[in-house]
Amino acid sequence: MRALDRRRWVLTAAVVVSIILIAGALIVFAGADPLLGLQGLVDGVSSSPYRIGEVLVGAVPIGIVALTLIPALRAGVFSVGAEGQIVVGAIFATAAVFAVNRTLDGAAPALLLWIAGFVAGAVGGGLMALLPAFLAVRWRVNEILSTLLLNYLAAGFLGWTLRTWLATDAETATPQSDELPDAASLPSLIPGTRAHWGILLVVVLAVVFLVWQRSAASTRLSVFASRPKLALRLGATRSRTVYSTMLVSGLGAGVVGWIQVAGVNDRLLSSVSGGVGFSGIAVALLGALAPIGIVAAALFFSALTAGAVGMQSATGTVPSSIAEVIKGVLLMGVACIAAYQRRPAAVVAPAEPVVADAPDGPDAPGPIATAEAEEARA
Amino acid sequence: MSVELWVAIIAGALALAAPLVLAGIGEGFVERAGRINLGIEGMMIMGALTGVWAGSLAGPLAGLVAGLLVGLVLAVVMNLLVYRLHANEIVIGLGITMLGLGLSTYLYQLWVPSGQTNVAVATVPRVDLGPLSELPVVGPILFGQSPLVYLAVVLLVVAWAVMRFTRFGLAVQAVGTDPASAALRGVRVERTGASALLIGGALAGLGGAVITVGTIGSFTPDITAGRGYIVLAVVIMGRSRPIGIALGALLFAFLQSFALLSQSTSLQLPSELYQSLPYLVTLVVLVITSRSQMRRLFKTVRPA
Repeated sequence: MRALDRRRWVLTAAVVVSIILIAGALIVFAGADPLLGLQGLVDGVSSSPYRIGEVLVGAVPIGIVALTLIPALRAGVFSVGAEGQIVVGAIFATAAVFAVNRTLDGAAPALLLWIAGFVAGAVGGGLMALLPAFLAVRWRVNEILSTLLLNYLAAGFLGWTLRTWLATDAETATPQSDELPDAASLPSLIPGTRAHWGILLVVVLAVVFLVWQRSAASTRLSVFASRPKLALRLGATRSRTVYSTMLVSGLGAGVVGWIQVAGVNDRLLSSVSGGVGFSGIAVALLGALAPIGIVAAALFFSALTAGAVGMQSATGTVPSSIAEVIKGVLLMGVACIAAYQRRPAAVVAPAEPVVADAPDGPDAPGPIATAEAEEARA
Repeated sequence: MSVELWVAIIAGALALAAPLVLAGIGEGFVERAGRINLGIEGMMIMGALTGVWAGSLAGPLAGLVAGLLVGLVLAVVMNLLVYRLHANEIVIGLGITMLGLGLSTYLYQLWVPSGQTNVAVATVPRVDLGPLSELPVVGPILFGQSPLVYLAVVLLVVAWAVMRFTRFGLAVQAVGTDPASAALRGVRVERTGASALLIGGALAGLGGAVITVGTIGSFTPDITAGRGYIVLAVVIMGRSRPIGIALGALLFAFLQSFALLSQSTSLQLPSELYQSLPYLVTLVVLVITSRSQMRRLFKTVRPA
């Protein structure tokens, strides 16, 4: 990475200041004291071990989704299908756990149930990711749109599932499945909190991607994003790139589906994905596609959500949806900062923009800027 | 299924299509200019909220204007970040959507705290078309609509004419197809792209306001329910042409209207299937149109 120049510092400061100003303005607009709000935010994140555990629990799914999105985003494949992949992964995992448990007459060992859930979740998410990959490779269907539409189909499938073949017999207020057998749930990591062993998976994935980042395959993906023809000579065909990167993100999202069922809710709920898929993209971009940055950003996102809940209860008036506003502003601010770094700006450019030709160099922000350069030359 | 039901489904489809068409016309300009606005969803939902808010203060017309202005403001922000700070357009679009969804929920929860009854505003009044609306079948479908449906049709024609006959329309197309040569011929590339995005933002905001002020008369968080993205799909399906956009929007809206109304009848299919149908068919049409676009591309590359 280059040395930070002055302009970037100014920009970073401007982003931080504008976030503080916007947050302050929103709190004041709600008729609350910003300092009290800030205190509520801090309390919401750190007042008890349970609250800290909640931050960790919230960061796990976002972190996994964001980490497994690294290859896709590096290659400029802009899938937004994590939501649907989480849903299908969760359905597959729940069904597999029940099936294994039933075949062994409820005496299945925990390890077997974990493996069944993990594998089934990954398969479900992976299958859900291969479909848009196939459409993108075969017929050049824009993957942003196909994955978005598939998210709605997955939600419909989940609704039907929870009403029919996986629905619980018990009377419940919201549609849900039966509770998983005790052996299937992930044990808690910190006693007295909901923090479970899924956290270790985030650590493992972060290490894996740290190592992977230094590999030739990783470089090929970056080349693919900026110069597809050069990447072809390096052995990265379009189909192989799209299939492999979308599959990795699908597997990750599917496993998240299993983790949310087995680690957090102990049953399949209609809210299983809960916006994690979209947060995952934002976090991946926020972390500049670097594993450490992503883990930090995931913790930050989760802390914002938890802190906003604390702010709501401390002030009584500030709605916790303030967290979403801050996340949006933050994402835009970081995109502006990233434009000053060479790499991330090129990395997050789409491989096949709906607009026109792909930018032909890592520095070119797009066809329009190229035209401006032409204009200047003429 | 009876004739009355089909009439209700088709009339409902036209009403549901109006916001999609309005936002789609705007996005059509954006995409013809070679850009993409992933913030439509955020602009639409902010337009929907301010539409209700201004509508409750000063009537439905003010609501529509307020929605349009909010979309415009968000498009100005997007332009500043993309052109002045050179931020990535896709990321900024996603950011605008996140911001819009969050901010609309935030402001709405302040305005109507949970437990209170929702604010309902007057919707745009229907114009009385006298004997026309009493015609059998055709009457309720074509002449019993909200004026906003007619507005959408008028704007479709205007957009077509602007694109085809005006200097601005030609500049937009030139910038979209070959920015370098457009610049050489004296077209101001950046300014044209920015204007297209401003039109797109304003119409997205208006489309959002049409959802609330046009038919429902109230706001709930996530009321747009992904329609902003459907607009994108519809525009790509319709290849940014007004007719294509209108057809795509009508198809989606028809299936949505069908899903809404046929649930009440006793067809032996799960309701989730009906609700998923618009998205499924949109995906299928997207595949089909992408495919023929590919064939066209191949023809130009390798003439047979």
